[in-house]
Amino acid sequence: MMKLKSLLPLLIAIVGLFCLPLFIHNPYYIHLAETILIYTILLFGLDIVVGYIGQVSLGHAALFGIGSYTAGVLYFHFGWTIWGTIPASIIVTAFFGGILALPALKVIGPYLAMVTLAFGTIAQILINEMTWLTEGPLGIKIPKPELMGVPMTKAEYFWLVSAILIISMIIVDRFVKSQIGRAFEALRDSPIACDCMGVSVYRFKVIAFVISAGFAGLAGCLYAYSEQYISPNTYNNELAVLFLLGIIMGGRKSRLGAVIGAAIIVLLPKLLDDIYLFRIVASIIAIVVVAGAAMALSKQLTTPRRVAIPLAGVVGLAAFSFWLNSISDWRLSIFGFMILLVVYYLQNGIVGFTKSFYQSMVGKAKTTRGEDAEVVDDSISFISAVGKQNTGAELLKVDSLLMQFGGLKALNNVDLSVKRGTIHGLIGPNGSGKSTMMNVLTGIYVPTAGTVLYAGESVVGKTSSDIALSGIARTFQNVQLFGEMTAIQNILVGLHHTFKSNMIEIALHLPRYKKEEAEAHARALALLKFVGLDDLANEEARNLPYGKQRLLEIARALALDPELLLLDEPAAGLTAPDIKELLRIIRKIRDSGITFILIEHHMDVVMSVCDTVSVLDFGQKIAEGKPAEVQANEKVIHAYLGT
Amino acid sequence: MDMFAQILSSGIAVGMIYAVIAFGFQLTFATSGTLNFGQGEALMLGALVGLTCVDTFGMNYWVMIPVVCLFGMIQGSFVELIGVRPAIKIKSEFGWIMSTIALGIIFKNVAENVWGRDALPFPSPLPMEPMNFLGANILPMEILVVFGALAMMLLVEFFNRKTIYGKAVVATANDRDAAGLMGINTSMVITFSYALSSLTAAFAGVLIAPLTLTGATMGGALGLKAFAVAIIGGLSSGMGIIVGGLILGIVETATGFYISTGYKDVPGLILLLLVLAYKPSGLFGKSAIKKV
Repeated sequence: MMKLKSLLPLLIAIVGLFCLPLFIHNPYYIHLAETILIYTILLFGLDIVVGYIGQVSLGHAALFGIGSYTAGVLYFHFGWTIWGTIPASIIVTAFFGGILALPALKVIGPYLAMVTLAFGTIAQILINEMTWLTEGPLGIKIPKPELMGVPMTKAEYFWLVSAILIISMIIVDRFVKSQIGRAFEALRDSPIACDCMGVSVYRFKVIAFVISAGFAGLAGCLYAYSEQYISPNTYNNELAVLFLLGIIMGGRKSRLGAVIGAAIIVLLPKLLDDIYLFRIVASIIAIVVVAGAAMALSKQLTTPRRVAIPLAGVVGLAAFSFWLNSISDWRLSIFGFMILLVVYYLQNGIVGFTKSFYQSMVGKAKTTRGEDAEVVDDSISFISAVGKQNTGAELLKVDSLLMQFGGLKALNNVDLSVKRGTIHGLIGPNGSGKSTMMNVLTGIYVPTAGTVLYAGESVVGKTSSDIALSGIARTFQNVQLFGEMTAIQNILVGLHHTFKSNMIEIALHLPRYKKEEAEAHARALALLKFVGLDDLANEEARNLPYGKQRLLEIARALALDPELLLLDEPAAGLTAPDIKELLRIIRKIRDSGITFILIEHHMDVVMSVCDTVSVLDFGQKIAEGKPAEVQANEKVIHAYLGT
Repeated sequence: MDMFAQILSSGIAVGMIYAVIAFGFQLTFATSGTLNFGQGEALMLGALVGLTCVDTFGMNYWVMIPVVCLFGMIQGSFVELIGVRPAIKIKSEFGWIMSTIALGIIFKNVAENVWGRDALPFPSPLPMEPMNFLGANILPMEILVVFGALAMMLLVEFFNRKTIYGKAVVATANDRDAAGLMGINTSMVITFSYALSSLTAAFAGVLIAPLTLTGATMGGALGLKAFAVAIIGGLSSGMGIIVGGLILGIVETATGFYISTGYKDVPGLILLLLVLAYKPSGLFGKSAIKKV
């Protein structure tokens, strides 16, 4: 039943797309609709970079161009047909996407935006200059593809594009809902936690760019056949900005948003060619926004101050349209103006805005719970039993570890030996180097000198994600959850290592992927239940109360099947009942054979669960032993009380 | 040898312009961690306003410079108020990137509508006879560019180091929250840094304009390459941008001469990608330690 309901819009879309050329015979309108579909495919891809990994890409116009030119060049020089150029465009562009991602590995935010801008500029220059390959500014003419020896009609090509669009939509949807999509969102929300969950940020950034570029290439290829002529000027930086506008305005992380965005950026220039139509539309928008604001004000959902600027903006735009005689010269200004409005007042796009506006008007909060009020299967062994066979053997050995930041020795010749199956406390005043130790153990810092042996192997120089996969999981002092993801999705990121299925299996929903997904889901629920969060499974992590967030972090770390679990101040900020619950959880985990290193300031917690305690002060280990011994140690008392 | 000296001298002049614009990037990045993606458009507007002052109002080139600087300050403040401040308030990186790009597009489009789409010549204040120096033909204007650029950077550095207002800028650059708690109006300082940044860009515009043509499209490539310089040199190193600017200017002129002028923008951008891939903090920048 549920399934049918969600499939219905898709069916309507398919029928609609099929019927469109049958009822509209004007080739101009068919071409316009076709362009929207092609841009939609590109926006699906762009959304992966913008919406899912949260980066700004100004290089997608260039990728789009690379797709077009791959098709154009292969046709022009080698006479390839569309059945060869489509896969070639996807592969070539995906390859360039990978190249674009390489510098992107090390940089984020504004740097990445500039890198992509530079990439776009280089690509445009090269397409223009490499005349032996691309015919340069002259461009390339491409006829419509042939079907069984006969050139396709306008309608037939439209159907082909529609079919590819539907397939793309299904594939993108499946990708972003799989472990790959979760990895994308995880690296956006907290790259460090993502690495520490065994999900390599580097790797998945590149994958995101490659997939995204693949779709851009596909769209570019289809565009070449649609326009039947390509030239370098089409693929400029303004087109890249236009694509970004499309995806933000339509709505990120939404297939419908991509369709709306594509429709806007295709129709808008046409609209701006016709001043009379533009006046009408600008007036309607002004009226709608004014009415919406009035409604929101009357329900006291917003303040006059907040609506003043967007109101002035849209009313001003309408007035501007009546003052002008011709709009086409001012097209870019209006684009710029729309970007400004969208960036500040429509951050979640039309789709996101409509959703939240509808909810606030109806006065009904989104009921994410209950939807899958699944029964937790108690028989699942959600904590992998490490076994107690080797209890007492050395699991982690740190030898004369030195971590230097400039002149500061945050860790100075520290030795540490952690025995299997024990809870090893690490205490010390603030700034004594405890968290630095955690960061060295999990590969976030590379130590200046010294060795760290985990289960007999050195972890120094290994990446955080490799260390995580080898069995060291951690939580963070300042909680590092994947905020925009739900509680259960957070755990599923931790379970990423249980997935073996590849992209093809995901795209086709082959049995192995479905089985893995179902198993991971069941185990994630069991883990949530273990920390008492099963009824909050579908709540976004950022909306959880602080104490619950800490518990969720522990559950997420457990999903990694660790042998060694590092907890960095798990009790900080918890209430007394929460701490009791935490102690119960820690003991339960220890009973399954997992080893702990516990950083904590709550002495009662440390004293009640730890088997051994090491004390750090100014980067040096000043004491070690049983909790009671340490508590009585002169040096420790001195370090804490400073007398 | 003569050719080499020629490439060197032309490259230095272009490179110093990049350095001045890159300096503008540094100013805003220091105070607010943001960059004006429309920096190139600020330069273009400066040059066009300068042209109008000289052509239409018959101003002397030297009298026009302070007018253009003032215009740059106003333009920069406007960018900060409209595009950057709301983004800082909602802590949206995406916001300021997109809004400064959008403002850049608007400025360019407005310029096209006001000054037309054609590139316009800018009258030179100095004689256009080349002087012969070590076998290279050097325009007096090129020397002015180099010294003007240096003077502008020194002036701003002097202001930052020696005056109390400059100290407020430096304090904000170091720790915005702490500076705010010490009674410094940090949002004012950020606006000011944008004003200063656009001022340097506008000044660079009127410096370079007599050597090139002036037009609405002159800014885009310059802004991007100045960003490359800021990254190559490091966003925090004054010495870095001068060295970076010179490297880029010379490499570019050499490419234009030995390969083709069509490719002249390519090596700089590839250099940018390489630096970002291997040393994102820039050749002269210090890398920061990430805290968890």
